[in-house]
Amino acid sequence: MKALIIDDEDLARAVVREHLAAHPDVEVAAECANGFEALKAAAQYQPDLIFLDIQMPKLDGFEVLELLEAEGKRPAVVFVTAYDQHALRAFEAHAVDYLLKPFSKERFDAALAKARALHAAQPAPPPAAELAAAARQGRPLERIVVKDGPKVTVIHLERLDWVQAQDDYVLLRTEGKNLLKQQTLASLEGQLDPARFIRIHRSYLLNLDRLVRVEQDTKEHRDAILRDGTRLPVSRAGYQRLRELWEGA
Amino acid sequence: MHPLLASRARLGAYLLGWAPIALLLTGIARSQGWSWVEASMLAVPLCLVAAFLFLSAWFLCRALPLGRQVEALGSHGAAWGLAAVLMGGIWAGLAWLLARILAWIPGLGALPQRVDLALPVLTGVGILLYLASVALSYLMLAQDRALEAERRGAELQLLAQESELKALRAQLNPHFLFNSLNSLSALTAVDPARAREMCVLLSDFLRRSLGLGERRLVALREELDLARAYLAIEQIRFGARLKLDWRIDPAAEPALLPTLLLQPLVENAIKHGIAALPDGGTLLVAADIVEGHVTLRVENPADLEAPAPQGLGLGLRQVRQRLLGRFGSRARFEAGVQQDVHRVTLVFPLETEP
Repeated sequence: MKALIIDDEDLARAVVREHLAAHPDVEVAAECANGFEALKAAAQYQPDLIFLDIQMPKLDGFEVLELLEAEGKRPAVVFVTAYDQHALRAFEAHAVDYLLKPFSKERFDAALAKARALHAAQPAPPPAAELAAAARQGRPLERIVVKDGPKVTVIHLERLDWVQAQDDYVLLRTEGKNLLKQQTLASLEGQLDPARFIRIHRSYLLNLDRLVRVEQDTKEHRDAILRDGTRLPVSRAGYQRLRELWEGA
Repeated sequence: MHPLLASRARLGAYLLGWAPIALLLTGIARSQGWSWVEASMLAVPLCLVAAFLFLSAWFLCRALPLGRQVEALGSHGAAWGLAAVLMGGIWAGLAWLLARILAWIPGLGALPQRVDLALPVLTGVGILLYLASVALSYLMLAQDRALEAERRGAELQLLAQESELKALRAQLNPHFLFNSLNSLSALTAVDPARAREMCVLLSDFLRRSLGLGERRLVALREELDLARAYLAIEQIRFGARLKLDWRIDPAAEPALLPTLLLQPLVENAIKHGIAALPDGGTLLVAADIVEGHVTLRVENPADLEAPAPQGLGLGLRQVRQRLLGRFGSRARFEAGVQQDVHRVTLVFPLETEP
């Protein structure tokens, strides 16, 4: 079994390595100090198992998992973290194991055994986005990761102008660029702060901060005019949502 | 005790206020054909007597506080009227007595007769003056109440700040604690000596932060010691990613500042600076003295790819509030990103333990 240890702290990786030494059938293919290294190592070694820290610079553990998923990789995962334990309790429902730092040898062995069993049974693991949402406990997303060919882009939501539905994908408009991500508009909408991103149309989510005004073209047709002059269609239901927001404010 | 009798300055101002009244009475008496001597010899002592006699209005007013209900005005009004008539009468009676005493003085023999004629007028003036005293007393009572409310408000605010501080102390960053224990767990196998050192550092940090909570003000030296203990632990966790730069002017070390003001700044610098960057960077803590003020600075490298924070986080807001709460306009708080450095600067007057 090939494993990756992904944690930004040397000593934290050392503990996992030490515990793994008692399991000679698990080979540590690589140790990674951040998410980008992890993605590279995963491409190179095709690991069966990853030990994954959650709070890391640039890309957090959930984002790493999501990007691996986007490449069709589904290794068994053990989260190793000092993260809030209430948040992680949500993972139990998703049949994913986690180790709270610091942990005992017994606890480590149990997590490893569970990961192995799951890996052997090959069930469809829960989507990373779902896990991340569970751990956020209702708090909205703050950034979106997109894999654009070999490049990974992190979009901070302040820089996201609008989102357009394109079948199974969403087109994300940020800083003059269009990026595609495999996700439905409805699922993305569910993760965003409803006070910041408004569904103005069946196919459009708009960052409210970009909106200048709404123009009525014809009796039935309205356009949202954005700061950069872009026009996006506003449906009747979308206009209703905008009005509710204005009247509520 | 009557508030006017409690302070010499207030009493002086009050008595001075009676001078124009004495002048007015003299003028009225003159217009009735009294001589200058007759008028002033009676008016001046009579006003002095009134000044003290009518202070009694304050006690009446205190016993009959003005409420919001209009119904009370009827019974209050009756009490004021009765007291005014009584006091006006007493005052006129005293005038009658005074005239007879002054009549012994040669040249003032006509005074008793003149006063007898003026008795109804004197009683009326006495009633009016007493009612004016009632109004003045209510004004003073209202002012006292406002001052009292202000003092109570300030006290409550102080209490709130104290409880906030207590909450702050209890808020030992669990993430820090568990990550440190995890590093410790790793070190026990690879470097037992280092593990022991970390145990000592952690105990030192915990003991200091528990001890600091007892006081509202501490010397900067103690805040720096706490930050050093904390950063020594983070140094083990982050290794080469964390470089420390201390630039402390020893003259700034005795400066007093609100407790646990520096700690949130260094914790922020670790969390948003060092821990957010794969290669970490240098954390600077500097303290200087410029023109009688301490300048305390914490700098860390900023992640330029992340958007600049909108406004201050809760931790920094609390620091600013507590700094300004202690020193007011004599202190300054600045936070922001310049080039790729996040910098927080506190400037406050150099005050030391007496």
